[in-house]
Amino acid sequence: MAMNNERDAEKQLIVKNAEQESETAASSLSMETKESAENLEDKGEAENAVASGEAATISASKSPSAPESGEKLPESSEKVQGKTTGDRHLQVRLKAAGDHLLLMLPPETEFGGTWNELWQQLQLRLQGGVKFWQPQSQVHLMARERLLDGRQLQAIAEALSQVQLQLKRVETSRRQTAVAAATSGYSVEQISPDRHLQQAPEAEPLAEPLYLETTVRSGVEIRHPGSVVILGDINPGGAVICQGDILVWGRLRGVAHAGVGGNSDCVIMALQMEPTQLRIANYLARAPQEPPAQYYPEVAYATTEGIRIARASDFTKKPTDEQRRKES
Amino acid sequence: MSRIIVITSGKGGVGKTTCTANLGMALAQRGRQVVLVDADFGLRNLDLLLGLENRIVYTAVEVIAGECRLEQALVRDKREPRVTLLPAAQNRTKDAINSEQMAQLIEKLAAGGYDYIIIDCPAGIETGFKNAIAAAEEAAIVTTPEIAAVRDADRVVGLLEASNIKKINLIVNRLKPAMVEANDMMSVQDVQEILAIPLMGVIPDDECVIVSTNKGEPVVLSANSSLPKAAFANIAGRLEGEKVDFLELKEPNEGFLARIKRLFWK
Repeated sequence: MAMNNERDAEKQLIVKNAEQESETAASSLSMETKESAENLEDKGEAENAVASGEAATISASKSPSAPESGEKLPESSEKVQGKTTGDRHLQVRLKAAGDHLLLMLPPETEFGGTWNELWQQLQLRLQGGVKFWQPQSQVHLMARERLLDGRQLQAIAEALSQVQLQLKRVETSRRQTAVAAATSGYSVEQISPDRHLQQAPEAEPLAEPLYLETTVRSGVEIRHPGSVVILGDINPGGAVICQGDILVWGRLRGVAHAGVGGNSDCVIMALQMEPTQLRIANYLARAPQEPPAQYYPEVAYATTEGIRIARASDFTKKPTDEQRRKES
Repeated sequence: MSRIIVITSGKGGVGKTTCTANLGMALAQRGRQVVLVDADFGLRNLDLLLGLENRIVYTAVEVIAGECRLEQALVRDKREPRVTLLPAAQNRTKDAINSEQMAQLIEKLAAGGYDYIIIDCPAGIETGFKNAIAAAEEAAIVTTPEIAAVRDADRVVGLLEASNIKKINLIVNRLKPAMVEANDMMSVQDVQEILAIPLMGVIPDDECVIVSTNKGEPVVLSANSSLPKAAFANIAGRLEGEKVDFLELKEPNEGFLARIKRLFWK
């Protein structure tokens, strides 16, 4: 939620950048800092250009059987100067708050967040998280600036009741939403749309980990301003992008980006590591072309030379902090 | 209560329509009343595969617009009278109707006492797809053992799950056992490993399917026995809750006679 205000402030900038993006994608290597909170994933295209440019050499120099299949791929380091995750990519969030849950909806922007997208995200989040709340918990919907009509509110309430949650209260800064909610019989809190109230502190602590029991399928992108734990596979075409660590209790075959925002201490763990791409902070790596003969749980971490992968059993024994200190 | 099943895939050309036609026929051969709904407005094909093109008078769009009664648009198959087709309009696009209208239409059909309502979904995940799945209660995903088809199928499974369709089964179409054996094609296991949904059937690649498509006569109805025909019959059985062993799709190198013989033994 920290980014709501930034968004507005930068609306014009972003529009401008959107125009530029096509150019930056083409000339990715010469890309210099961007003035906005845009960062890595906003330049996915540009980044890919970098990756494919250098990838050939990297996979050739690597022995696939080695337990450390990390690749050094130092990105143009200026790239990640942005403050936090892309503010246009806020997703639906469910958060425990004492005896009830908060359901936070992202605002609709010109880059997405339409009702349809929101609806799909909500369904996936609810189905993936069923066992993490008490049945019949109450939910407070934080709609903020989002406009919701009576039918959409009802749809949300139905989706919640399917996983045994009750919509009780709606918090909104929009009058129409407030009226719709009141008509549907929910208690309403109309907050002031004043931006300053929503101003988040500069360094917001990471959100609590997101725990999902689901298969992240092609086309699904999980974004979270904290760590993510997935009980299931990340399929090719799926992505998890977060500011903290990523733990996959299953196969990782899609894209995982940990430590968005620049924290290179973040790690990516998976029972079976066959990623399309790994990213930690501003480092990027691809899996070896040849799949290893045997899979075992592995941990990917960032060093100054790029991303390394170690067997999970070895990784825990390694004094990683010490190692890092030596390196730096 | 009718079972409402949508046949979908994401990618085009993997055999959705062929599966719809044959599955419908196979179910009808088991004595079920089946209605096949073509949801591919603007690019309808199901009528061709069933050989019913020349009998279409009204289409689903006219029913929705109230220009005719539902019964007037339904086309009954002469060879297999338990199969009925609700054709799509060819002169309109997918935007001609919306999900609510589609859901109402299916609801009306369901009141007609059919055992199965099978919806042939268009390729893609846009309006046409959303309309087709709007009223469905379960889904069958058709995919070929190719990376692109499986990737799209995976996306579609995600979308179906997000639309609260939980019962999703897998049909692997056009498998070439010889290529799988030579490690040149994804195996059924490979496909299943990614999609992680229950397997309902495997249909081997066979030229007789192309022949039957061009003739407008589903393989299930043909007099000759063939592996695809047996595969569709098995899928129909599994849909009905029977435990049917999967066909043994071996190297068809052994020659035509041996193949026939093997079928015979089954």
